[in-house]
Parts: sequence; C-alpha cells; structure tokens
Amino acid sequence: MQWRMVPELFKNLFSKPITIRFPHESIPIPDGYRGEHSYNVEKCISCGLCAKICPNMAIEMMEAPREYKEAYPQKYPKIDLGKCCFCALCQDICPKDALKLTKNFFLSTPDPAAVIKHPFHGEK
Amino acid sequence: MEIEQISAHEYEIFFGPAHPGSGNFSVKLKVDGEKIISARADPGYLHRGFEKLMEYRTPIQNAVLSDRICVLEPLAWNLIHAEAVEELLGIDTPERAKYIRVVMAELSRIQSHIIWYGVMSIGMGFDTGFKIAFGYRDYILDLFEMITGGRVYPAGYICPGGVRRDFPKGAKENILKVLDKIDEMIKLEEMENPAFLYRAKGIGVLALTDAQRLGATGPVLRASGMKTDIRKDDPYEVYDGFDFEVPVRKEGDVYARYYVGLEEIKQSIKIVKQALNELPDGDFIVEAFKKPKLNLKIPEGEVYVRNEIARGEAGIHMVSDGGAKPYRVKVRGPSFLHMIPVLEFLLKGAQIADVPAIYWSLNGCPADLDR
Repeated sequence: MQWRMVPELFKNLFSKPITIRFPHESIPIPDGYRGEHSYNVEKCISCGLCAKICPNMAIEMMEAPREYKEAYPQKYPKIDLGKCCFCALCQDICPKDALKLTKNFFLSTPDPAAVIKHPFHGEK
Repeated sequence: MEIEQISAHEYEIFFGPAHPGSGNFSVKLKVDGEKIISARADPGYLHRGFEKLMEYRTPIQNAVLSDRICVLEPLAWNLIHAEAVEELLGIDTPERAKYIRVVMAELSRIQSHIIWYGVMSIGMGFDTGFKIAFGYRDYILDLFEMITGGRVYPAGYICPGGVRRDFPKGAKENILKVLDKIDEMIKLEEMENPAFLYRAKGIGVLALTDAQRLGATGPVLRASGMKTDIRKDDPYEVYDGFDFEVPVRKEGDVYARYYVGLEEIKQSIKIVKQALNELPDGDFIVEAFKKPKLNLKIPEGEVYVRNEIARGEAGIHMVSDGGAKPYRVKVRGPSFLHMIPVLEFLLKGAQIADVPAIYWSLNGCPADLDR
C-alpha cells in the first residue's frame, strides 16, 4: 500500500464535495450569461434588425393580435427558443436595448408551444 | 462451381459508432483472433455541411456558426474564421483584441488537451485519469462562461474585427487562479500509473517518414520527432512575441503523444501568463464593428488562413466574389488525415485491446473530420 494516499484520504473525507445538489442549489451564473430572452415591447421600434441578423432564423416579425393592434400597429419579434442558438447577436444589434438575454437557463419543457416566445404575453 | 473458402478465424467487427469510447465515428476492423489484419475508417456520422451553410450567411453569422465545427475547441475555429474574413477585408485588429484572442485560444488548447488526456485514460481503462481531467476542465469552462457567456460555445466570441466583449472585471485574477489549478492537475497527471505506461509505451508506433507521408500535423507529428508548430513557423496574432518551446518526442508511440500533450499544456500556461502580463489597454474591437454589421461587403479575392489548434493544422480557404456572403468556404480540419489514413495505418497489425488507446492518442475529433 502506498502511504502517500493516506493524507489524501483524510483530506477528502472531511472536505466539501465538489459537486452540488443541482435543483436545490446552483453554481453562480455570471453577468453576461446568454440565457432566455427578455423583451420590452415599449422600447421596441419594430426595425426588424434582430430578425435579419439571427443566424438560425429563430426570430420572426409578427403583427400584434387584434386587441393590441391599435396600440401596437407595427410588427414585433416572435422568438422560437427551439431554433435559437443563444448567440446574443439580436441583443448586440438592438438599437434601443429592447431585447436582452437573461440569466435564466431553465428552459427545458415538455410543451412544444412553450418554447415560442410571443411579444405579447398570454397570446398563443 | 467454386466454393468460397471462409476462414473461421477471420471476422469483421465494428469499433463505433455505438462504442462508448469512439465518438461519432466508426472503424471497421478485420481481425484474425486478437490481431487486426486491416482497418477501414467509416466517417460521416457527424456531417453538418458547414461549407455549404457558410455560403448562405454573412460573416458575422458565420462567426457564430464556426463554433460548431469542433465541439471541443470552438474558440480556435472562431479565430481562424475571423482571421480569414479580416484578411479579405484588409483590416487590422486592435492590440488588446490580439492579446485577448491569444489568451482565449490557449485556454481553449489547454481545455482540449485535458479532454485528450481524459479520453485517452478512459480508453485504456484508467478511469481516475478521466475523472481528474473532466473535473479540472470545468474550471476552464467556468472562465469561458464568465468571459463569453456560454460554457462550451462562445457564439462567435472572436469575431471579425476583434472580440465581441471585453474581459469582465476580475477576469485576469480568475484566469491566474485557474492556471494554478491546472498546474495541480498536471502534477496528478505526471504521477504515471504503471498500468497506463504498460498500455501506452511501444503501442501504435508512427515513424517520422510514415507520419510525413500520411500527412500528420500538430502534436501527432511532433510526437514522431519533427519540430514544427505554426505558431513558431508562420506566426499569427501576437505569437511571435512570446517565449515558449515546442515539445518534441522521437518515439512516435501512444506514450510520446500523451507526453507531447502534457508538455503543450505547460507551454500554453506559460503563454497565457505572458499574454496577461503584457495585456495592453484600449479597444477590444474595431470601432466600425462594435455593432454587428448586417450588410458587410467582402471585397473580391481569396485567402487561405492556417492556425495551430490543439489537434494540428487547421485552415480556412475563403473565396469571395464581392458580395455580402462568401462565395466558397473550405474548411481543413486537422482530424481528417489523423483519423483516416494515419489511424488505418496504425491499426493494421495491432491488438484489439489497443484500438481505443491508439484511436484516442491521435486526438481526433469526428466533428471537424466530417464538418
């Protein structure tokens, strides 16, 4: 038996494990992480640059639903997170900072409709 | 009527693509008992068609796409793509961007070599090595997450014109801390396990003449005894200003390749430390490229850019006809020649049990082989 492993053994017996209990705790997510989008329709000027730059064509400009049509007559981005590669080019190109990527990475879902982010909440 | 004679000793087996140690790649082996008579590589399981996809996208979108050419070192491919576009555009990047690029490319190389050590260990049944390697690799992934915003894919962090973001606060200190951790790992890695040595020494010997004939590059060629490194021979970015050595071994066996990989991690640590020391202030991207450019016209012309990445010589040949999208992009992945001619040559006459050791010692990446 190699005796040099004994101090290593005691060190590992009394030290905190390197793994974390994931759903209960998480490693710190740094600022600038590219997670789920947050979209502010009030700031949006409907320039459509985000839809043009998106390498995966995950962003489509859509018209507002009927009840919002008067207040929002132009086209607004609808984001398909299933196609998105989280490159943050839309965030970089947005002239008004309406589109931003948040730290949220809990995006897996069994519901295929839930991966599509509509500019107007609650609208499917 | 002729009756075909079938030997009861000879039969065919597949190594991969469902083998846990093969990745998305397969080798058809013809064996006689335990001995391999001939091997035939069977690539194509990971073909995604980057060369065609790039013809339909603008350079800034291609920067994001270029991540995916090789899963294990996306930053290196970002760098090559960015250099190709810059050469066509005829622009120079700010000094700070060049240093950041070197730091990121070297961290990417360290990370890739750590994976190399890990998969080589598990290929030989040395699980501890695998766990050590992948545990320590996570520290570097934490750095990537902090700097680029993604753990594995930087999403075109190194883009035409510079880099997409500056180093965040405390990046320098964090990188130095992680490098100390990697030093710790190297010490563990250097405690050579006898079982590892028995399975690595004298196995899969690639002589220098064969290596040159079959087109090996990078660490595989260096392990066979040729001192060559594009960072020294044809310096790009600011590599000519750094003091580092090119590790060479003469044996050309699995152990020599492992040893070259280990030494390269040490040299990369040296380069990162020098680059961080000399990191100049200033802009991290050309002013005109601060916002991603949608209608960037690439002037007519063609370039071939080559870089030394963890696996060997990687290159991009880009042709432009003056439009916003490249006319043709050819990607030269270093794994192609390692995984087809070199692997087939080395497997001939080897034992079945040595297949994973030889396979992984070539540091192949099916992703950049199939593209």
